[in-house]
Amino acid sequence: MSVSELQNSAVMWVACGIPVVLVLVQAIVFARKAYQAGPKLGLTQKQMKAGMRSSAITSLGPSVVILSGMLSLLVTMGGPVAWMRLSLIGSVMFESLAAGFGTASVGVELGSSGMTELAYTMGLWTMILCSIGWVIFATLTADQMEKVQKKVTGSNPAMLTALSSAAVIGAFSSFCAQNIVKVNKNTIAVILGGLIMFVMMKICEAKQIKWLRDWALTFAILGSMIITALLPV
Amino acid sequence: MEQKKDYFEGEYMPQMNRIGKITGLLGVILCFCPAVALALVYGLLPQPAALLTAFIAGAASFGALWFVEPISYYPVLGTVGTYMAFLSGNISNMRVPCASMAQAAAEVEPGSEKASVIATLGMAVSIVINISVLTIGVILGSSVLSMLPATVTNALNYLLPSLFGALLVQFAMKKVKLGVVVLAFGILIYLAINGGLFNWLPGASNYLPTLGCIFFSIAVAMLTVDKKKEGEKA
Repeated sequence: MSVSELQNSAVMWVACGIPVVLVLVQAIVFARKAYQAGPKLGLTQKQMKAGMRSSAITSLGPSVVILSGMLSLLVTMGGPVAWMRLSLIGSVMFESLAAGFGTASVGVELGSSGMTELAYTMGLWTMILCSIGWVIFATLTADQMEKVQKKVTGSNPAMLTALSSAAVIGAFSSFCAQNIVKVNKNTIAVILGGLIMFVMMKICEAKQIKWLRDWALTFAILGSMIITALLPV
Repeated sequence: MEQKKDYFEGEYMPQMNRIGKITGLLGVILCFCPAVALALVYGLLPQPAALLTAFIAGAASFGALWFVEPISYYPVLGTVGTYMAFLSGNISNMRVPCASMAQAAAEVEPGSEKASVIATLGMAVSIVINISVLTIGVILGSSVLSMLPATVTNALNYLLPSLFGALLVQFAMKKVKLGVVVLAFGILIYLAINGGLFNWLPGASNYLPTLGCIFFSIAVAMLTVDKKKEGEKA
């Protein structure tokens, strides 16, 4: 059996499928509980459906980007591992790095044609060991952090809202800043994305077009992405 | 109102915490399935010494993120969101945008109990879509990438920057001053990192900007919020 056959064998598909199924099960169990709890907390069916629809629309673009990231990992580590590592815990950026450390530890450069069974094994183990830290820490501390947050805000709803909105702005500011300081087409993409979104939101506000609000983000991303790509530089 | 609070804190959250902990720790164990399969079916085992070297290299490059990211993203994701996002991954490029957009569409106050429920629903949808797209993609395999013209793959590089720009505007529009100040702060941190000011902190560029921006933004907001006027700007 060649390394590539080993990497894409039925055994590996099944073994990688088990944790992927767990991620889906967790999402579905949480969603069912939340959907039942919604009305008891004063949410309407309409609100819950609006939230889910908006999230579905927002998911599409990034999913395609993650997919294109997976395809590069697919060439080096095989289909099952690439699929599993990006469906759970993974992030495109760190997976290739971890796999590379693993194969390098037995003298094989990731992406070279010299992939061996041992290098594949080392790459896989390194990816697993280097990723579980996130889940262990997050899982064990999530409810503790809730207590800290309650202390900081004094359980005051106004403070909680201020804190959460500020956190979202902080996160997106950081993601934007990272691209802005590159001073290349990424900078332009951030600015254009923001600009188109601004115009769309103004139109939505002025004309009260409901469906446009759901799609404003998609239009902003597509518009900015296409214009940026077409720009000569 | 009192009754609602009892339900959320006394019944809903304990249940969610239990599910989160069980599935999260089960996830850690099940992650090893492919490694165990390699050992049991093919007799392939890692070399312990080499594995330790590789692990240390990985831990040195991004081990700080294991601790910093759950703390940084907690105020954004909330408790249930933290369980979900860290098991499913792709947090900045997928979970955070989806959870915040879901909350905006449902018109709920961020940080509220309702917002927590909506974020959970939104994130679940994004996980199902994410895994579906990846599954279809992996079945079609690398032929997908070769089918795409170069112009499309080139344009895809600009999808995430465009998304982040649009999202920042969407959420900062109600708090323009805060948005401008925090964005400027973020750019300064990146310039400082690029200028080598944080070379003494290994891997700082991976976690320092996001950690810094989120907590700087929270600090500014908490210092300026009017505690009596509930959700004045929302």
